Amino acid sequence: MADVEIRGLTKVFPGGVRALDALDLHINDGEFFALLGPSGCGKTTLLRTIAGLEGATSGKILIGGRDVTGLPPGARDVGMVFQDYALYPHMTVADNIAYPLKIRKVAKDERRRTAESVGGSLQIGALFERRPGQLSGGQQQRVALARVIAYRPRVFLFDEPLSNLDARLRLEARTFLKQLQTELGITTIYVTHDQSEALAMADRMAVMEKGQIRQLDTPTACFRRSANLFVAGFIGSTPMNLLPARILDGELDVAGCRLPIPEDARANVSPGETVILGARPEYMSLSRTEVPGALNGTVRILENLGVDTLVTVEVGDLHVRATVPDESVPTPGDRVWLTADPRHVLLYRQDDGEQVGAPRAAEGTSPGAPPVANTPAR
Amino acid sequence: MRAADPAGALRGERSESALVMLRLVRRVGFYVFIVFVGAFFALPMVWLVLAPFDAHPTLNTALPDFTLGNFGDVLKDPYALTSLGDSILLAVGTMLLVVVLAAPAAYALSRIRLPGRDLLLYLLLLFSSIVTGTAAMVPLFLLIFDLGLTDTHLGVVLVLAGGLVPAGIFILKDFVDSIPTSYEESARLFGASSFQILRDIVLPYARPGLAVIAVWVMVNVWGNFLIPFILLRTPSSQPAAVVIYNFYTEGGQADLRLISTFGLLYSIPVVVMYLFVNRRYGFRFYGGLKG
Repeated sequence: MADVEIRGLTKVFPGGVRALDALDLHINDGEFFALLGPSGCGKTTLLRTIAGLEGATSGKILIGGRDVTGLPPGARDVGMVFQDYALYPHMTVADNIAYPLKIRKVAKDERRRTAESVGGSLQIGALFERRPGQLSGGQQQRVALARVIAYRPRVFLFDEPLSNLDARLRLEARTFLKQLQTELGITTIYVTHDQSEALAMADRMAVMEKGQIRQLDTPTACFRRSANLFVAGFIGSTPMNLLPARILDGELDVAGCRLPIPEDARANVSPGETVILGARPEYMSLSRTEVPGALNGTVRILENLGVDTLVTVEVGDLHVRATVPDESVPTPGDRVWLTADPRHVLLYRQDDGEQVGAPRAAEGTSPGAPPVANTPAR
Repeated sequence: MRAADPAGALRGERSESALVMLRLVRRVGFYVFIVFVGAFFALPMVWLVLAPFDAHPTLNTALPDFTLGNFGDVLKDPYALTSLGDSILLAVGTMLLVVVLAAPAAYALSRIRLPGRDLLLYLLLLFSSIVTGTAAMVPLFLLIFDLGLTDTHLGVVLVLAGGLVPAGIFILKDFVDSIPTSYEESARLFGASSFQILRDIVLPYARPGLAVIAVWVMVNVWGNFLIPFILLRTPSSQPAAVVIYNFYTEGGQADLRLISTFGLLYSIPVVVMYLFVNRRYGFRFYGGLKG
């Protein structure tokens, strides 16, 4: 087991595409670390550069304190699960799992024993004589996991391993993967474009955009205190409300409604300034009676999310969304007042999209904090 | 609707039965056509199988005046058996040369981004059809003559291989392209060397492709008349395709007894090879894996 340290890592592809831009990152020993971002943000390039499948243009990669930047992939002690699992179609499941040991010149009996014990613990022992083409997607994924576990790497690299599974299986596999990682305690870097996966599994995560890390924090912190408009918009199953606001007389003016300025931002805004107010629908509460410091509007659309209902309220010419528990769902046309939980209201600068004011010592920044409980699974 | 308009229903039934008749006629016509086409192609095959056993074969396909004497007569020819051996030698030699040259080239061309790669491939393919073609025969003969390789099997193998390698590369590259790079990448991550990757992953996966190339090359060489005819002078080293050209009667007439019998012997190795390769390697594909 090992930590992974990345210093000033830059990757420029021939043709001039800058996939990674002077990245600095430290991934702790035993941590489940997610790289999250839209396609083309550089997350897979980062993973492949750590694996050694892509060379770094500049910068360093250290695994367990050892500089591996110039080493070939096979000398880095990293195991990777590919998006397509990369199971060898002409080998049986048993041979697939034992293949890394064959490369290490482990004796045949020993290979078989290891393959059987790893395969048994992943409940694929019954499939040993089959070929990958005869397995379901979920089974293939387990074989790929068994193979990489049999290799006993110091770091696991996962490249969107759940994206080939259907939605229901994906949820099961997610739990299974998380449990497996906790049991093995092997440092894991997990690439995904699905924010709900990252939130659900990671100890910490890096949200990436255009080869840069936009926020590096726990899932809880990324969700509750998104550092900028990009993260705010990318994370969350229901999009965050991002509303233009003006600072007037020590209050926020949003579409003619007056809201209190969040305490931690108060010192960093000046009267007359235009900012963007961010409030997640999950942190909005809806009232049918007048409440001071609330957004006043008319209910337009109801969307059933299962337990909750997503209510879209028209406030002036803005649309504001709130998730509302089943028992207090309004009807379209109702006049309602929306209050945002002041602890979860964020202000962003309009020019660069970064958060206004100093970051508060947010709750749950230590690694290993459980992911935020009320994130609806996708 | 029918109940409401009995006359209409009757009309409907009538047109329905007409439609069935039309379909029937069409189908019968189609089958008759197919039978004629099939017979057109099958008759020469039937002749090839029947004529060797006929004491007096003609160009007509007829039930034979049964005899095995033709085989004895063919084997009396001093070059009949050696020519089959020569054909096998040329076919296997060319096949090995083409596979050994085309496989690594196809792998490299598939995996390494090379400016002008596709143009190179198409040019190779274009020129290869000229190399083995009639147009290049004179320069090829002069080249082989200058190399001192006339009347040697090596000269024939080189010319034939030269013509087949480009198309071999072209076909094999398609097979290699279908191997996902993640297979090789995952093996590299486990510490496999390039040689191990080639031996354990790429070659087994590309085996059907290699088998296709091998069979294709051998069939090509087996049937090639012009190049060995021009390059080989000594009758004892000429392959079957050239020797069959010599079966004439004293009167200068084509000897149908010998030609048909030798023709049958000549076609057997190809059929056997196909059956063997099909059984051993199977022209099947593992296909991609999908969840």
